[in-house]
Amino acid sequence: MLTLKIALRTLMRRKGRAILIGVLVGFGTFLIVFGTTFTASTSETSRASIIDNFTGDLIVYSDKSKELPSPFAFQTPLPPVQNLQKVGELLDSLPEIQAYVPYSQNYAIIQVEREGKKIDLPFIFYAVEPEPYREIFTNASMEEGSFFGVGLAEKTPADSAGVVISRYQHEQYIKNYGVSLVTGEPVTVLGVTEGGVNTVAARLVGIFEPELYKNVFDYINFIDAATYSQLYNFTGVESLPDSFNAGLEAALISEDALFELALDEDFGKLDVSTLKSEAVSGYTMIAVKLTDHEALDRVVAELREKGGSLGIKVATWKEASGFYATISSALQAFIVLATALIFLVVTLIFTNTLIINVVERTAEIGTMRALGTDKSFIRGLFLTETLILNIAASLVAMLISLGIMLALSKNGIPLPDTVSQFLVGGGRLPLQIRFTPFVQALVVVVVVSVLATLYPVKVATSITPLKAMSDK
Amino acid sequence: MSVVELKDVKKYYMLGQTRVDALRGVSLTIEKGEFLAIAGPSGSGKSTMLNMFGCIDLPSEGKVLIDGTEIDTLKDKELTRYRRTKIGFIFQSFNLIPVLNVYENIEFPLLLNRGLSKKDRESIVMKFVEEVGLSDRLKNKPNELSGGQRQRVAIARALVTNPLIILADEPTANLDSATGIKIVELMRTINEVEKTTFIFSTHDAHIMKQARRIVRVLDGRIVDAEAMEIGA
Repeated sequence: MLTLKIALRTLMRRKGRAILIGVLVGFGTFLIVFGTTFTASTSETSRASIIDNFTGDLIVYSDKSKELPSPFAFQTPLPPVQNLQKVGELLDSLPEIQAYVPYSQNYAIIQVEREGKKIDLPFIFYAVEPEPYREIFTNASMEEGSFFGVGLAEKTPADSAGVVISRYQHEQYIKNYGVSLVTGEPVTVLGVTEGGVNTVAARLVGIFEPELYKNVFDYINFIDAATYSQLYNFTGVESLPDSFNAGLEAALISEDALFELALDEDFGKLDVSTLKSEAVSGYTMIAVKLTDHEALDRVVAELREKGGSLGIKVATWKEASGFYATISSALQAFIVLATALIFLVVTLIFTNTLIINVVERTAEIGTMRALGTDKSFIRGLFLTETLILNIAASLVAMLISLGIMLALSKNGIPLPDTVSQFLVGGGRLPLQIRFTPFVQALVVVVVVSVLATLYPVKVATSITPLKAMSDK
Repeated sequence: MSVVELKDVKKYYMLGQTRVDALRGVSLTIEKGEFLAIAGPSGSGKSTMLNMFGCIDLPSEGKVLIDGTEIDTLKDKELTRYRRTKIGFIFQSFNLIPVLNVYENIEFPLLLNRGLSKKDRESIVMKFVEEVGLSDRLKNKPNELSGGQRQRVAIARALVTNPLIILADEPTANLDSATGIKIVELMRTINEVEKTTFIFSTHDAHIMKQARRIVRVLDGRIVDAEAMEIGA
């Protein structure tokens, strides 16, 4: 009680200095609360943005791939995922998986005719199954037409197949090639395959505007799975006659059966024109979205264990997002480092001020020691003063921080576009106010207060009663 | 019965390579209830002697016994407790705790000696407040008091724990001569009433006259002690 009384009155007596230190500690607290909230919000939003726009929670890809999958690697497409049906069955069997979509990225040319001339337009694209793609990724806001008819009440074949381009891409076609496209307009898609250049007739189904990651999606277009299969001959047979299937199964059992099959007259009479075609996998990646992001490690482990025999590998969203996650992490690390540095400076200033305080109070401390106070009393006095001041300043700063953050959370924090694009895909940063940063700040303030007091207290307790006697 | 005993006490300090002798073999016995002045010019060693009486400095050689205990055998905590219970201090610059008022400053040493109830503390404090004549200044802070009033607070503070010895290092040096004489008269009155041993240092001749015994110190040696018995 005596300690508390002296501590409080000393603080009141030295208001100017107390306010100065309080402001420093308050500023440090604000940085911790705001910095941690900002970093956590950035991290959470960045993760959500990458997952919702590029990768899903994880990507399944071929085990023949030497590279990690990347939604941005258009120059070197990965090998296609094999056993797509069985992989799909595996994904369907895991309850944590909400949805998945096979997709691939590649580049081609779309050709249009203007005044009798054929004009080639460059075309980087994602080949997707439209329905599941839109279920997982909702980044494309349609300005004209539709996303391959997804969501249309009445869908015609013309709505379902073809190409969807970005508004920016369209502007570039107009600017660089003088070509303005109209939704529904026929285009020819030209793709380079191992066998040469393939073409497929298609239509421009829609024009979209990306909501986030404009610096990426402005350059990315879409092609539906069926058109993509035709373009690159990813076509198989939906079903074979039963006799043919039986023969093939028998052939797998023994060589004799294989030779018998060759002698079977009916086997050679397979009428190819009666077969139904079916698109087979040309997909290089399967983006998987989970019902619960926290289940990521568990699902990845399970897929790695069960997927080995299916020729697949698994990459988390972080591994697949490449430099985006790296840059986001680096920016967050910078914020944390800057906060830590500022608090270090605050601690040094604070320690220095406390030492000056001790020096100025040498006679008072010496008197107390002469009157019979133990060193622990002096130690307690300084610690109490420091904690009262710092905790009070910290609590005030927390209230101010909360007010500022509540005000900012209404519309999000405006960021420079370049920073925003890399951190959260563009736009304002939504601020997620949580309790933890406040507790962290209080813990840091208490720890820093104690640490910053250690040396000044050592100086104070080393003051002997002689100092009081010699204070003339 | 002696409360303080110095036996061939030497105290020296090293200033770089140079040895400075503050006390050069001092022997002195102070009896309970004395009102003793240690006189001498600046640097004569009188403050060093007082520091040893107050257990805040230890001899380089020789023995200092306070109430029969050799102080250089005590550890820091024991010395602190010794000061708290057996010694009262009156400082030249008053050395009151600036954030505490008159009442609280006087009560301070009692709060360090736990075991007293608030009521007991109050009755002790009020007794000495009245004795030093500060009943109307209880709520005042030190900076609201005159020099003489501050020293009265310091005297009351030194007295509240009923110490064996009260040490006063030039208690009138920061006061005008009239106030200084009043302060020493007050100390002497308390000495007579309470039988508390007072040891004070001074080089003021007017103050010295109030002492019952004067110990004169020069260059770290007692030059005149027993012979200077002065009547009241």
